[in-house]
Amino acid sequence: MEVAVIDYGMGNLRSVQKGFEKVGVTAEVTRDPDRIAAARGVVLPGVGAFGACMENLAQYGLVDSVRSAIDSGRPFLGICVGLQLLFEESEEYGPVRGLGVLAGRCKRFAHSDDPEYRVPHMGWNQLEKKAPSPLLDGIDDGAFVYFVHSYYADADDPGIVAASTVYGNEFVACVSRDNVHGCQFHPEKSQTVGLKILDNFGQIVRRSKT
Amino acid sequence: MLIIPAIDLRAGKCVRLLRGDYAHETVYGDDPAAMGRRWVAEGATFLHVVDLDGALQGQTVNGAAIAALCSSLAIPIQVGGGVRTVERAGILFGMGVDRVIFGTAALEEPAVVADACRRFPGRIAVGIDARDGKVAVKGWTETSAVTAADLAQRMQDAGAARIIYTDISRDGTQEGVNAEATAALAAALEIPVIASGGVGTLDHIRALLPHEAIGVEGVIVGRALYTGAVDLATAIAVAAV
Repeated sequence: MEVAVIDYGMGNLRSVQKGFEKVGVTAEVTRDPDRIAAARGVVLPGVGAFGACMENLAQYGLVDSVRSAIDSGRPFLGICVGLQLLFEESEEYGPVRGLGVLAGRCKRFAHSDDPEYRVPHMGWNQLEKKAPSPLLDGIDDGAFVYFVHSYYADADDPGIVAASTVYGNEFVACVSRDNVHGCQFHPEKSQTVGLKILDNFGQIVRRSKT
Repeated sequence: MLIIPAIDLRAGKCVRLLRGDYAHETVYGDDPAAMGRRWVAEGATFLHVVDLDGALQGQTVNGAAIAALCSSLAIPIQVGGGVRTVERAGILFGMGVDRVIFGTAALEEPAVVADACRRFPGRIAVGIDARDGKVAVKGWTETSAVTAADLAQRMQDAGAARIIYTDISRDGTQEGVNAEATAALAAALEIPVIASGGVGTLDHIRALLPHEAIGVEGVIVGRALYTGAVDLATAIAVAAV
């Protein structure tokens, strides 16, 4: 099995699994640490509140599985709140500690009073490519992807920001650092662009030696 | 401006009604998920799904078709028709629906809609379907004395993220969407409005484009896509400028 999609009760897992299937990558939805350890690549989805996601990960005994997967050097992809969890903490009902894999914090969009930029940010918006990343291979600068979130990640190191997006302010849309990747948007809801990104992750998994 | 194909479900099939009349139904396919895949292949970036049986019965009837659409399409989906409780909205979100639309409940149980908006901020839309400017409910079988404008304002105050405005007299006719009424509604509100009902040609879509700046975010297209009167990819290109 190529990719394990971690089931910790948060996230629309079937859509992510179906997305991978559409691009020919075998994906299993699982909460079994052995299955996660056996997968060549690991995906951490996530919707809802940051704190609830961290709590559920802990309750399902999966924090170690996530850390091991990342430390092993196997390709790892966080989606939506799954990307946010990689950072140090979030302001959402917080501050709440995250996994601390990437330096930076998650913040709420500050402009929620502005009718132009209502929160959550829900809709199609554009990627502005920044640091080169294999996750965004073949994706055009300015490509539209689908977002739904009220908080965004603010990375300390711009070198890990593969793409940013603007919604009132600029925020991290996509990160890549070694084997760790993340998308604030939902690739499984982003039409052909999103499926291409899932396909790219599949290629990263197939190329990896770990 | 978003061009949003509509898939209306009745007894598991993909259908269109004329002016909402259940006796004037045309069946366009018996595999809604396959129809959804066709619209995605032609460039759709959002899908509008109505459970017509649900709208009449006040509950979800075509759940299997909705679930199939959610798991097979790589685009966001909004669903309405028979959603009358917060629990039902939660169940639909659990299936993978991205936005849930309340119709009848907005008029008859506004507290339920307000509660849903609090529980699921940004994810609740209200469908306001009007006959001569007055709101019609229960699968459009009952017309109230309430104006669309009044209801829209109340629902915006309750936290609705979008208003979907349908002129019933135009729906399924391909005679043209009611651009003036849609624009007037959008101008009076701060939240975006999605137009619906009557698109038959690209010019009907063009007529809406000048109103995008004041809040007409998209237009739902139904029958015209199924008859071929409007080609989805072309409509998307026209609306993208």
